[in-house]
Amino acid sequence: MFEQLAEGFAMALRVDTFVMMCFGLFGGMFVGALPGFTTLMAMAILLPISFFLDPIVGIPFLLGVYKGGIFGGSIPAILISMPGTGAAVATTLDGYKLTQKGKSRKALDIALFSSVFGDTASDIFTILMIFPIAFLVMQFGPPELFAVLLLSLVIIASTSGGKPLKGLVMMMFGLWLSFIGTDPLGGVERFTFGLFELKSGIPLLPMLIGVFAIPEIAIVVMRNQKARQLAALLGERLSMAEFRRCFRTICRSTVIGTSIGVVPGLGQVVAAMMGYSAAKNASAHPETFGEGEIEGVAAAEAANNAVNGPTMVPLLTLGIPGDKVTAILLGAFVAQGLRPGPQLFTEQGSTVFAILIAMVFANLLFLVIGYLSIPFFSRLVTIKVSILIPLVILFAFAGAYVFRSDSFDLVMLVAFGVFGVIARAARFDVMPMVMGFILGPPMEYAFGQTVAMTNGDAFGFFFGERLGALAILLAIPCIGFFLWKRMRSVPAG
Amino acid sequence: MLRSSIKRAASVVAAAGLAVAATVGTAWAEYPEKPITMVIPLGAGGSHDLNARVITSIIPTYLNQAMIVRLTPGAGGQKGTNEVANAPADGYTLLFTHNYIDMLQQHVENLPYDPKADFKAVARINYAPIAVVVRGDSPYQTFEDLVAASKDNPGGIQMAHSGNWGALFVPAAQIMKALGVSWNLVPYQGGGPALQALLAGDADVTMGFPSAIGSHVSAGTLRVLATAGAERIYDDVPTFGEVGVEGDVGFMHRVVLAPSDTPDEVIEALGAAFKALEGDKTFNRMMGRLGENIDIIDSDAYEAMRDDQSVAYKELVKALTSQ
Repeated sequence: MFEQLAEGFAMALRVDTFVMMCFGLFGGMFVGALPGFTTLMAMAILLPISFFLDPIVGIPFLLGVYKGGIFGGSIPAILISMPGTGAAVATTLDGYKLTQKGKSRKALDIALFSSVFGDTASDIFTILMIFPIAFLVMQFGPPELFAVLLLSLVIIASTSGGKPLKGLVMMMFGLWLSFIGTDPLGGVERFTFGLFELKSGIPLLPMLIGVFAIPEIAIVVMRNQKARQLAALLGERLSMAEFRRCFRTICRSTVIGTSIGVVPGLGQVVAAMMGYSAAKNASAHPETFGEGEIEGVAAAEAANNAVNGPTMVPLLTLGIPGDKVTAILLGAFVAQGLRPGPQLFTEQGSTVFAILIAMVFANLLFLVIGYLSIPFFSRLVTIKVSILIPLVILFAFAGAYVFRSDSFDLVMLVAFGVFGVIARAARFDVMPMVMGFILGPPMEYAFGQTVAMTNGDAFGFFFGERLGALAILLAIPCIGFFLWKRMRSVPAG
Repeated sequence: MLRSSIKRAASVVAAAGLAVAATVGTAWAEYPEKPITMVIPLGAGGSHDLNARVITSIIPTYLNQAMIVRLTPGAGGQKGTNEVANAPADGYTLLFTHNYIDMLQQHVENLPYDPKADFKAVARINYAPIAVVVRGDSPYQTFEDLVAASKDNPGGIQMAHSGNWGALFVPAAQIMKALGVSWNLVPYQGGGPALQALLAGDADVTMGFPSAIGSHVSAGTLRVLATAGAERIYDDVPTFGEVGVEGDVGFMHRVVLAPSDTPDEVIEALGAAFKALEGDKTFNRMMGRLGENIDIIDSDAYEAMRDDQSVAYKELVKALTSQ
């Protein structure tokens, strides 16, 4: 293996690889920053380009688009409170508050540094531990996935701002919203009132923009607030001392993100929220989280990027893509004549290692590209309020529309926008709702699969045979502990 | 810098506006005079997506216009299909789908469109024959072993599939019906997770397309028990016909459809372009790498196949749901 690794290292050091990675990173960042355009779309559109390039050029190019895109997504999340994907929700919580305080540059800097650190560390770990991870991946079936998702939801509910009970209510509401549409297992329509538009469920992006961005716009407009005074300052770049302060958090989130990446089907959303929750719970001053805490951004960004390394493992060792991004990468591999699967490393080992090493280089390259681009992006907040607000509204509607080109999504955007404004006025945190909505379907699916696997006797299966039982048993004291902790801290704070 | 970014955003908006304006007009001098949109009612990264990326990078040579892929997943493929059903029948909006979405769903659910009345075949591009697979260390050495074990233990064999009425579920159901066996059908979110469940030991048997299972078969981690079609794909593995499962079972046909009012000359122009792909070297090479075949069937011939599929699926659904 080490011979192949060394050979791969030499193969990855190519000028054209680096040039194409730069294009990919920059293009990905730009597309990711536009609300409504997802990294996935960009990769799907650019995939044919990779068909005609050398494998060690074409695949790193796509990886560049992917990595650039993830960071790109956190730019509107931080600057205008508009998360383009579920993975950027946790970044929004503190990132936008920092922008309001005139610290948008710091927020973008820490997002970049933590992303790059989390990604690089998890990539290197993956390269070295690829076969042990491949073994671990196989240990997770539907019952385990269900249990882990349940545990995640409990922890996420406990980290919401405001009263714990309100957080749980919102999470339940989010879970219910996720039931609308076609039942993923039985194919029966639920709560659709016969509307065809609702048959494929409520779209995520209009919900995200609606509940996170619209209320922020509404506040500025309703209070006739000169947000300029808040945001006019470009702010300073991140200082070394601040980075050092966040370093523990970044390391913790990297470990959490990497571990979550090993579990097939969890992904960046869970990682970002778990990293954030862990940072908040470990902090000596949890009350600053959600109010513009640099550590909050660091925790979320390091964790969601650290997922990327291990998600490559089932793709490479089994030929099975764990998510849509790796599905596109599978296409790129196959079209190059590299067939991911059990024989990939014996037949094409050095090429694969070259690609993986190029992935690490892409991170380092991105550190430079991102650092140079941040001043350009952070200028956005210096636009006059009278222009910025209409522009943000335009972005909100255009973003919600281009995602699926469905005018029904605009109705959803407005509905969730109104809901977001009301929820904020009533001091209900929308974050648990969004998380319930995102994690509800995979959890329900995993539960349904478990029931199907056991011919109906899911209860006995969970507690009799599988690892999953452990996580469920852990979830119960967790609820108790968090509730107790919150009950005590709320009157004190 | 900021100004340039606004300018760029403005040009994107302007281009989008032009595209919208372009799709409104229906008059044409000589088809095609503007880019054609191909809607895929499935998600990114699937086999349809990959096939379409190859098709759309080659077909401009024969159409002199670009073909743009639009992924519209949702409601089990019905969202994208409905979109094309309601699109103007001018040949600028096509649907790239497969036979299970096209002809089976009408027998399971109430659809907002009528597949046979609202759509007309343009061309079938290719097909993927399904294979029944077990783990390399499975006790079932042959398809007969599996059938015998299924008869001894009805409902005890775990069969992982990619979702109800999908490309793995339907052949499994057809085999169950033909041989009088019963498997416990467990859904997974796609063929990949189903295969992973088999490899991890959660399932006893699953199905897969040769393009997806090839590396596992040659590595010995998977064993193929039977494959669809009249001809053997692997020399030592029997076909469905040889093990007693007759008919058009286990083929996923990737097919391009158009709204049914599309003029005949447009269908012919498109059909000729798709037919021309068969002789294209680059196309052959790239499809070969994806592990896909190329077998173009023209509009009329595939229409006849659609009729047969509809009858067969209707019977299958009736047999399965009446139990």
